[in-house]
Amino acid sequence: MAGLVVKKIGLAVAVLLALTCGSFCFFAWLGGFGHSPGPSLLTLYWRWLRGLFGGSTLHEFSQPTFTRNFTLQNVTMLQALGHTVVLLACAFVLVVVFSIGLALLAASRRGSGLDVGARALAYLGWAVPGFLLALLVQLLVNAVGGARGVGPFPIAGWPGTCPAGIGVNSGHLTPCPGAGSGARYVLNVLRSTALPALTLAAGFVGVHARYLRSALLETLARPFITTARAKGLPERDVLTRHALRASLATFVGALLSDFGAILGAAIAVDWVFQFNGLGTVFISEFPVDFGSVNPYSLVPLLFLTALLVIATSTVGDVATYWLDPRVRRRG
Amino acid sequence: MSDVAVAVELEAVERRNGFSRRTLRRLTRQPVTVAAFVLLVIELGAGALAPVLEKKGWNNIDLSDRWHNHAPTIHGHLLGTDNIGRDVLARVLWGIHASEQTAIIGGIAATVLAAVAGLTAGYFGGWFDAVVMRIADLVTGFPVIVVLIVVFVWLRPVTIWDATLVFALALWPFGARVIRAQTVAVAAEEYVAAAQALGASNRRILFRHLLPNAGGTIVVTLTALVGQIVLIEATAEFFGFGVASIARPTLGNLIGEATISGIGPYNVLGLGWWVWASPMIALVLVLACISLAGDGLDAALNPRQ
Repeated sequence: MAGLVVKKIGLAVAVLLALTCGSFCFFAWLGGFGHSPGPSLLTLYWRWLRGLFGGSTLHEFSQPTFTRNFTLQNVTMLQALGHTVVLLACAFVLVVVFSIGLALLAASRRGSGLDVGARALAYLGWAVPGFLLALLVQLLVNAVGGARGVGPFPIAGWPGTCPAGIGVNSGHLTPCPGAGSGARYVLNVLRSTALPALTLAAGFVGVHARYLRSALLETLARPFITTARAKGLPERDVLTRHALRASLATFVGALLSDFGAILGAAIAVDWVFQFNGLGTVFISEFPVDFGSVNPYSLVPLLFLTALLVIATSTVGDVATYWLDPRVRRRG
Repeated sequence: MSDVAVAVELEAVERRNGFSRRTLRRLTRQPVTVAAFVLLVIELGAGALAPVLEKKGWNNIDLSDRWHNHAPTIHGHLLGTDNIGRDVLARVLWGIHASEQTAIIGGIAATVLAAVAGLTAGYFGGWFDAVVMRIADLVTGFPVIVVLIVVFVWLRPVTIWDATLVFALALWPFGARVIRAQTVAVAAEEYVAAAQALGASNRRILFRHLLPNAGGTIVVTLTALVGQIVLIEATAEFFGFGVASIARPTLGNLIGEATISGIGPYNVLGLGWWVWASPMIALVLVLACISLAGDGLDAALNPRQ
């Protein structure tokens, strides 16, 4: 186990180094850095990398970010990362809970209306892109509750930051949501995360419920399930304790290998809901042309995105190892 | 040629011939898949015929005052007009035209790359396999949309052909993974070992045995990649990266253009719902039909699942 973790972390560091080096040199070259006389691109990268450990680069993460018109955004990169992590975490919890529930019901009642419904949901989730679903949810909220949102759930925005994104309420968020402090802040965060997280999760629940359902059906045909049934175990225990436990590794693997797509959709949802996460910062900070590109503001963003991806895949590998004894035996 | 070799060849050929006839029968037995195929053909056909159906192009403006922001009507503009009097139907059809061109050509190119990489990596293995699969891991783990935005800004102004090329280069690893897995399984079969023992060349084994066996997977990969390209292109262009709506309407930039300031309570352009709803419905229909048709094909080609 420890060996696996060390190996995975080593690989992750290597990938991160390659990625930051490549993107830093690319953007610096486009932005006109690294010409002689002056330090070379690799020297500049080395300085940037050194700065990551307590120097100027680290400082960059807690500086306000800018839009492409150089107007100040009132969110720093670390805050943006935080917003995205909260959005992703809430969406992940929703996807896991709903997919497992839906898959268990669909697998135990094969061919029923519920099974067909879950299947239809999978196709719908696939056919409606994240940005479109977010826009439609906003339109619906706007139609039902107006520009303030529905009940306790605001139509867009993150508590304490005034957004200027896109969507139903672009640039006109009324009112700018208050942050509050302590428990009040947590509550506000949950309130404004509810709609975006549900939107993000909705696109993936159907698909992953389908994966898990087929994994469950495959497991249910195995001899050890017959044994469990023959021993007189109630069907609910057969399903949850035995079949689900054995299919969970497949499910977790599929969910985490889908992380790139989920993060891509999160960028869109973040942008439409003016969530001021990595997506909003990335899209609004990204220059429209590369004449004046600044590697020092773009590379940290890519670095944080890559960090998120790699951390998730490392956790996923370790989780699969832990969940699935077959993988463990193979080494 | 020895008897064994003939038998090996016969098996491969028989497999392929029986395969297509049975596949077609299995396919036509699924009403949903057939309906999806028909809808897809109608929609993509209308898009492909845009130069014939809407000869005046995507930027033709109806100058008369009553055609500004006009709701859909049977007289004149079937899907209404936008704020400067352009026909929404014409723009949507040309949008489908551009999107499907990128998706189909880019999808075929990506699938060819994926098939070459997947077959060779799966058959030869070793360091080549390791390198190809690590590249695939890198590309598939990172959100494609981020990479695309970077490349699109770099290539600005992006033409449809640029976008096609970028998609082919960015998406092949998704297909290569699946095709490689299939190839590894087939390469372990006895008849491949028999062919090798008989001295068949690598090229012969790849083309006579591995490629026909991966045929089903390749077709399914193609439909999946075409769908992915439509989806990702629409997302990037919705954000305002990629082909600009001034240069050429696509489904994504039509939705982006209409929703930036034409939706909800702050609709400064006074755009009607039909301006954003039409490209949205077209996009969702295309994506839904592709995924239904792709799943139907998958079920027909790999009946075990």
